[in-house]
Amino acid sequence: MIRLEKVTKRYPNGHVAVDQATLTIHRGEFVFLVGPSGAGKSTLARLLYHDEVATTGEVYVDQFRLRRLRRRQVPHLRRQLGVVFQDVKLLNERTVYQNVQFALEVVGASTHDMRQRVPELLDLVGLANRHRSLPAQLSGGEQQRVGIARALANRPKYLIADEPTGNLDPETARGIVQLLAEINRRGATVIMATHAKDIVNQMQRRVVALEGGRIVRDEARGVYGYEA
Amino acid sequence: MRLRTIGYFLRETGRGLTGSGWMSLASVTTVALALFVLAFFSVLSLNINQAAGAINRQVEVRVFFKPTTTHAAEMTFVTQVRHWPGVRRVNYFTKAQALNQLRAQFPHDQALFQLIKQGNPLYDGFDLYSHKAGQIPDLARRLRSTPIVQEALDQNLVIQRLQALTTVMTDAGYVIEIMLALATLFIISNTIRLGVFARRREIQVMKLVGATDWLIRWPFLLEGVVLGLVGAGLADVAVSFGYHWVGVQAAKSLSFFPLAPTATVEHSTELPTLVGGVAMGLVGSLWAVRRFLRA
Ligand SMILES: Nc1ncnc2c1ncn2[C@@H]1O[C@H](COP(=O)(O)OP(=O)(O)OP(=O)(O)O)[C@@H](O)[C@H]1O
Ligand SMILES: [Mg+2]
Repeated sequence: MIRLEKVTKRYPNGHVAVDQATLTIHRGEFVFLVGPSGAGKSTLARLLYHDEVATTGEVYVDQFRLRRLRRRQVPHLRRQLGVVFQDVKLLNERTVYQNVQFALEVVGASTHDMRQRVPELLDLVGLANRHRSLPAQLSGGEQQRVGIARALANRPKYLIADEPTGNLDPETARGIVQLLAEINRRGATVIMATHAKDIVNQMQRRVVALEGGRIVRDEARGVYGYEA
Repeated sequence: MRLRTIGYFLRETGRGLTGSGWMSLASVTTVALALFVLAFFSVLSLNINQAAGAINRQVEVRVFFKPTTTHAAEMTFVTQVRHWPGVRRVNYFTKAQALNQLRAQFPHDQALFQLIKQGNPLYDGFDLYSHKAGQIPDLARRLRSTPIVQEALDQNLVIQRLQALTTVMTDAGYVIEIMLALATLFIISNTIRLGVFARRREIQVMKLVGATDWLIRWPFLLEGVVLGLVGAGLADVAVSFGYHWVGVQAAKSLSFFPLAPTATVEHSTELPTLVGGVAMGLVGSLWAVRRFLRA
């Protein structure tokens, strides 16, 4: 379970990006974070994976209390969370296979585990036959699939996607969201910040809307609600 | 630690070293230079101490007569000195005896033979022993004020001066060493920082997927240590060859100056240079990753 209690994030320059946000996300949910540019979606996501720390209030991710998290515990938190970005952040000199393997390698997975897990993940994201390609040889959608496979490598309970389809055409974007839905169906909680109006409206999932850092709307089967 | 993890460290370290080639070379060179200077000063002090040690501590004052003095005048003076207050014993020697002693001490010295062939350059003189050490400076002064005396060496004073020289040398060494060490740290840490910068995307991904800080740091620390060790190795090689060369030159021209043997020098410099190299590598890389692996 993820829980935000009156969370405020004030950046060092004084800008309040998240303002008194209270929110509960249960295991297995699929949540869209929507809102105009600058509303605080990315900031909220970053609070979840401890890239930023709340100024006041408290963020809970399962047993972790994020404002009191010790440095040494951050890696443990991060292994519970997969993170996906608009600019996938793949390692350009490594193949698809190696990019996914990297996530397993650096948390100390055994060779046996990696041999089993990497093909499994590539299969899941539909790139089994592209494992030798370099990121530059892939389309944007395919790159994002690699990013998702990497985020899932350590079997996180939560997948946090910050505008994963921001760079993609609508058709490709739909494919990516369907993949996220499939991942959600398999048990992972998915939190996706997005501007993709059509997708949000079509999916009929929970929608949390932010404006000026405040949560202004939270609907179980919501719609995008803004002009895209 | 798993074997796989060690493999990962070694691979990443190798990548780091080859990745920043010229900077690695610059680092190794400065480490080597700094350690060579360290070794240079320690070898110099070693030799001054050796020279101080070679001075006969039994003899208290060594007196040389002016070359023009007649044997009769020398003997008269020695007899007088025997009755001076504070004098316990006087051992007279001629320059021929002094020469024989030198020859016995350095039987293989070619330069010495050349010198001797052209005539004996040594002096007649005597060794003087006092009743109390406190009387030595007065005795030496009184001897020096005698017209036929060329020089009266207070042996303790010579030792003290050599020791003072060692102290000055060591202090100067420290100052130079600290400056060189700082310069070296600066270059090593910049080399490592370059590596951190080149791999910032990887580091970002590693953090996101939950790699520990130490897993991220280790390859950089190892890289620093390797730079330090290679530098130390180069410095040691330079010291060995350099000192051997000095030894050869010295044997040709001043072999009666008791240089410390090469093996002794190598033994006394290897450990400090290795420790110094590793320390500089480690501190330099820690410095680099501390500043760049925050949050
Ligand atoms: N590191 C920072 N320092 C200061 N202000 C920041 C920082 N990051 C974001 N902000 C500000 O905080 C506000 C929220 O930013 P955030 O990136 O969370 O918005 P967003 O909802 O993700 O917007 P977008 O839809 O454009 O991605 C913005 O006004 C932004 O300028
Ligand atoms: Mg954003």
